[in-house]
Amino acid sequence: MNKIILATTLSIALVALGGCTNKSVVRYGDATAVETTNISFGSTDLQKVAGQMTDSLLLSPVVGTLTANTRPILFVESIKNKTSEHIDTESITDSISTKLLRSGKFRFVDMGRVAAVREQLEFQQSSGLVDTSKAVAFGQQVGAQYMLYGNLASIVKSNKDQSDVYYKFTLRLMDLKSGLIEWADETEIRKTKEKEFVSW
Amino acid sequence: MNNKYPVMLVLIVTGFFISACKNVPPVTSGIGSSQIAPGQQYSKHLQIDNKQLAAKLYISDIKSRSNNDFLQLNLTLTSRYKKSLQLQYQFQWFDQDGFAIEAGKSPWQALELHGMQTATVAGLAPSTKVSTFSLYVREVPEKFFKY
Repeated sequence: MNKIILATTLSIALVALGGCTNKSVVRYGDATAVETTNISFGSTDLQKVAGQMTDSLLLSPVVGTLTANTRPILFVESIKNKTSEHIDTESITDSISTKLLRSGKFRFVDMGRVAAVREQLEFQQSSGLVDTSKAVAFGQQVGAQYMLYGNLASIVKSNKDQSDVYYKFTLRLMDLKSGLIEWADETEIRKTKEKEFVSW
Repeated sequence: MNNKYPVMLVLIVTGFFISACKNVPPVTSGIGSSQIAPGQQYSKHLQIDNKQLAAKLYISDIKSRSNNDFLQLNLTLTSRYKKSLQLQYQFQWFDQDGFAIEAGKSPWQALELHGMQTATVAGLAPSTKVSTFSLYVREVPEKFFKY
């Protein structure tokens, strides 16, 4: 009798423990929350870099002078990825340019869409489908006055118990007329991953 | 009589495993403030939603000023806990009618506060139309599941 009780209890225990595994649940998460899934460059790092660089630029006394009576026109040159990871640096520049544009202090020209714009203007001018009196003419665009460019570098170190990654993001604003760097700043991120004892 | 002990042991172990093997939602409450206008006394707007965190951490100062037409904030946090705290903080921005500006887009920023450390973090309004702000600080949840 006792063997039956023991066997039944063990069976229940196995079923209960088996139920603990192989469960996957889909949830919507907070896109703005701090993300610590792994040590690689993540959404929190992107948001921090974009936020701090935008804040620093908007608070700069030089930029205060530049934007006092006008909205300077910027173009963003690509951010050079000098890290050992594959990082979509265009996503960082997109965030920075969007924040700066929405601040109302700057205007941007998009060099990544020059070919598409040219194609559209050629279509308007020479396809014969668009009223030429209303077609947008060539040679009326406004050029950028300043160039925003930068680097993302990293130093990675690890041993058997710990991994450490240090990111440094540098951004500069150059006056295209004079070649002078009007503003520069850098921000740092350190992330570590350590082995921890499993706790119940 | 003796045969009862293995059964009890199995039951206890099973109960232990079952209780440990569950999805534990992270604690996401913390300390923060309701909407504060520049110049207002911040201490009257503080709110504590998590007393355990409030025992380890307090907001020791909030400064605000206008810089290049933007509202600039300095939030000073002080730890009264001997160990490091893994925190995240967020600012929210509102216009003069109390409408949220860039609602849902203000990211949580990570902050490691060492034992008994006082740290100041900065925030800048995303628009020149911001007239009030609120802030919130909570711990970074490290474990979502217990096994």
